[in-house]
Amino acid sequence: MIGTVLFGVFLVLMVLGVPIGVAMGLAAILAIGLANMDAMWFGLLAVPQNFYASVGKYPLLALPMFVLVGTIFERSGVAARLVNLMIAIFGRGPGMLPMVAIMVAMMLGGISGSGPATAAAVGGVMIAAMTRAGYKPEFSASVIGAASAIDILIPPSVALIIYSVLVPGASVPAMFAAGLFPGILFGLGLMVPAFLLSRRYRMGVSEHQEPKPPLGKSLREAAWGLAAPVLILGGMRAGLFTPTEAAVVAVFYGLFVGMVIYRTLTPRDLLQIFMEAAELSAVILTVVGLAGVFAYSLSTLGLIDPVTSAIVNSGLGEIGIILLLIVLLIIVGMFLDGISIFLIFVPLLMPIAQHFQWNLVWFGIFLTVLVAIGQFTPPMAVNLMVACRIAVVSMERTVFWVMWLLLAAFMVLLLLLVFPEIATWLPERLGY
Amino acid sequence: MQDSKGGSPEESQTARQEESPSSNAPAILVEDYAGAIIMGVLAVITFINVIIRYFTSQSFAWTEEISIFLMILLTLVGASSAFVKNHHIAIEYFALRARPKTNRALMQFARFMGMLMFGSLAILSARLVWDDFRFDETTPAIGIPQWWYSIWMPLLSLVIFIRLSIQAWRAGKAS
Repeated sequence: MIGTVLFGVFLVLMVLGVPIGVAMGLAAILAIGLANMDAMWFGLLAVPQNFYASVGKYPLLALPMFVLVGTIFERSGVAARLVNLMIAIFGRGPGMLPMVAIMVAMMLGGISGSGPATAAAVGGVMIAAMTRAGYKPEFSASVIGAASAIDILIPPSVALIIYSVLVPGASVPAMFAAGLFPGILFGLGLMVPAFLLSRRYRMGVSEHQEPKPPLGKSLREAAWGLAAPVLILGGMRAGLFTPTEAAVVAVFYGLFVGMVIYRTLTPRDLLQIFMEAAELSAVILTVVGLAGVFAYSLSTLGLIDPVTSAIVNSGLGEIGIILLLIVLLIIVGMFLDGISIFLIFVPLLMPIAQHFQWNLVWFGIFLTVLVAIGQFTPPMAVNLMVACRIAVVSMERTVFWVMWLLLAAFMVLLLLLVFPEIATWLPERLGY
Repeated sequence: MQDSKGGSPEESQTARQEESPSSNAPAILVEDYAGAIIMGVLAVITFINVIIRYFTSQSFAWTEEISIFLMILLTLVGASSAFVKNHHIAIEYFALRARPKTNRALMQFARFMGMLMFGSLAILSARLVWDDFRFDETTPAIGIPQWWYSIWMPLLSLVIFIRLSIQAWRAGKAS
């Protein structure tokens, strides 16, 4: 009964456009109040306590820091320099620019932790150039929308930090290591249809007429950007930094590159960057805090066990439940961002994962891939929306192209299901 | 997170335009400056901690306590600004496809729900602060009174409540 109230109120409020966090918080308040009618203050003092406890976790400090890193590098002009370098290395020709776009999106993913930010940075640099070279804008938008979805897989990823905070036993370094190969595989998977479609529809035939940047100069300029993921991931691997410290070192490195080397950042930009990063972090942390209250109500009201046993004993079997999760999370991923999805679903799904004794690191990567796919599935894909806005095309017109990219993504998902080692090998090898 | 961020601000811009073309939200709020400063302090504290640990191989426990406190401050301060600018993560799919009048009603409803949430949070957390004050709770690492930290939660929740009230009032007058 109370469970119905909790989920019902949450769903209705969410669909009506109430911010996700507020919807979760109010549903939880109502449910806690109903369950504790005779207690002092209806047991509601747990609400601020859980908000405080959910946000006030030291490992979570990595989140605002990585958001700041992403905002700094997005403004520093590193995307354009990486594009130059990739073109200098791989040359010009039909089908090359979409592959460059995917590679640059992956590399930026290794610096920032947010998909739409990468879609904006890569789209801003690439879409005009791709249109000039003869690629259809709706094709370019599809490729960039899909490529930037890889961001939440490639470390550092804010979504993986959230998963790790929610799941004891899946540390941030382990999640980061686990995301690396699936992320690269995802990128390679997308390159296949991107390249074949360019050839098949004779796009980019005038690409070789575009100027080719000199290799030496491009490399010198892009090296500063390329060094960032090395600094972040290498520093963590070498045990020099915790994830939070790696992020903060990258913050100062990014500021140095932007202000001293590239000279793209002015002190005025700096204030704006910090304001933007502060608000962005706060928006996420608000959901984290209020989702903590929601999760508290779920667990103390004893709502998780019945749901778990209902699903586990539904006769679907392990494969059936995995298929169910795939459908469910991709649909949810079309409407919601990865972090909100994790905050809502991970507490619910964890007992199921434990029942089947799934590797929790692998499970996190599996969920992340599903969310990534949802983020470029029309009609409500956040990343695709950003790319479409830059390309000035409607999302309906991308459907034909996105279809093929989705097919590739599903192949990667299938690989991850059949060979879980793709995710689990590296963290095990590194001893996390 | 980080993810609908890039999408949602622009989406909500459309929503805002449809809702009230006349009332322009202030470009920069006090909360934005506060957020930027907190963000900067967090980065500097953590960075100093790395350097000190690197040279002396010991870290300060007090930085952890301060950082956590600052993160909560950041959350509430930034949440306030995001409410004014309509940047909070929400499913706007249905609201944006509704008729303008329905859309306005939904936006107003969302504001009232936000007021309900943060109004409750202000009252409930004020009760906790009173306990901290009454029982002379001190913080574990630094040993200062706990209520120096906890007082900010009801205060800033109240700020959010007031910000939302002003938004709702303006939207109500415009329509």
